Amino acid sequence: MSAPKPLEVRNLKKQFGTIPALRGITFNVEPGEVFGYLGPNGAGKTTTLRIALGLVYPTAGEALMFGQPASNAFARQNIGFLPGDLHLYGEMTGLATLDFFARFRPASPPLLRKSLMEALAIDDSTLQRRVKFLSHGTRQKIGLIAAMQHDPALLLLDEPSNGLDPLVQQSLRRILLGFAERGRSVLFSSHVLSEVEAVCRRVAILRQGEIVALETIDNLRNKVVRKLTLKFRGRVPSLSDLPGVSRSEINGRDAVLWVRGDLNPLLRRLAEVDIDDMVFPEPELEDIFLSYYQNA
Amino acid sequence: MLNIIRRLAIQHRSFLLACCLLLFVFQVVVAAIIASLDLSRTLEGFLTFAPPAIRAIIEQTMPGGSTAGILAFTWNHPVTHALITAIAITFGARAIAGEIENGAIELILTHPLSRVNYLAAHILFALMSMAFVVLVGLLGAVVGERAFGLEPFAWDRLLRLSGNLLLLQMSFYSLTLLCSSFVREGGRVAVLAVLIAIVSYLDNVIATLWSKAAFLRPYSFHTYYDPREILVNGNLGTWPLAVLGVFTLAAIGVAFARFLTRDLP
Repeated sequence: MSAPKPLEVRNLKKQFGTIPALRGITFNVEPGEVFGYLGPNGAGKTTTLRIALGLVYPTAGEALMFGQPASNAFARQNIGFLPGDLHLYGEMTGLATLDFFARFRPASPPLLRKSLMEALAIDDSTLQRRVKFLSHGTRQKIGLIAAMQHDPALLLLDEPSNGLDPLVQQSLRRILLGFAERGRSVLFSSHVLSEVEAVCRRVAILRQGEIVALETIDNLRNKVVRKLTLKFRGRVPSLSDLPGVSRSEINGRDAVLWVRGDLNPLLRRLAEVDIDDMVFPEPELEDIFLSYYQNA
Repeated sequence: MLNIIRRLAIQHRSFLLACCLLLFVFQVVVAAIIASLDLSRTLEGFLTFAPPAIRAIIEQTMPGGSTAGILAFTWNHPVTHALITAIAITFGARAIAGEIENGAIELILTHPLSRVNYLAAHILFALMSMAFVVLVGLLGAVVGERAFGLEPFAWDRLLRLSGNLLLLQMSFYSLTLLCSSFVREGGRVAVLAVLIAIVSYLDNVIATLWSKAAFLRPYSFHTYYDPREILVNGNLGTWPLAVLGVFTLAAIGVAFARFLTRDLP
């Protein structure tokens, strides 16, 4: 019998009154994986996490952490969680906050605290101040340290980059990749797609309570509709029958093409005309997102 | 569980110390007043001219102007009730609705802490806090008695009084906790609980003073707390304890049932 997965979500449904928040979602997070969980605000990402953590009860389906339902407090022994809307006790100092959360797991001492403080650029004197006097970004760092200081086997992060400056965001990515290298699993929930792209191997895209895509990042990139901007030297040729082009817009000598799949046939055709300039940026998950939403 | 209790103690220490200090000072001041007056004569003179309603209150609460009667009056005084009920309502409202409102409950309950232990820790802390404040109040009464050379209070009666008062306040706490388990805003719960406490107090006063409203007496929590009967006559009936105890347990039971099955936050 195989070992239970860090996180298994099976046909999860949640109805808030008459409003369906989740409409039967299924996915797993594998050991040693950083799994991206993407969707716009209100798609159901936070509800999924809350069900997985036992805060919200599902209408149907189940979410298991290491084979156990999260309503079992023991199942939460080896996890770390950062909520999307982090609230700490303002009267406590940063250090007291970290100690308070660490005491819930006496068997898992906060071994990573020092290294996390260094990586996230937070010093001892900052931790001596009361939380209510700290900036949003510093509170977020404390939340991240509290979630990771005991080196959990499963880390659930809801919009972890909120309030972090770009350098700290990079550090966070390195920390998460380090977690995965040590065999830890991470569920990275976000609506900021570029940051997920940088750390995740697989990603689920959530829309209105349904998973519209569950793919590796590479596969998603292949499916993306990319934007190609061209500036022609002469008159713009007919673009209607170009291979792989799903849509085009022409403005004077400029043209914008939305391209999907293999580029070679298109490039061969474009080589037949004179082009002054061409802009073809790296595919962004934003484009993937738009592709799925436009198709749905 | 101890972790939660420890945090609550740190968070509320100033509030609790302020309540302790006020109750202690109030008891000492009342002892000083008793010592400085010839109570029997003063009361007799006052009762001659007092309106019937006021006379009824005074005769109810401090019969004969004895030290025990005066002590009973202080332990049924609005100041005493307000101080301890404030603790009951504040802690009850914050235990669930307040923690949902400030958002911290989401993070705490994702740790290996069951909802049962979380709520039990809050209830235990509230019970210990109120017991501590009541004991400090009693200490104030004893210090006042010693300092101003009053007739000694009977310790067994004081302990019975504190038990009855604690049970009364636990009723308010459990009622607040019950409301707290159904809503998300601590402030709304606190306002509702304060209204109920005031209505309960007034209900008891009105039903005591006005014979036509006597039928309202059983519907007041304060009816089941009678310092005069305990301190002057030494009687603590089982019926008041049973009513307050059953109500407290039932309300806490429903609050648990609701808290264990509701979505958070």
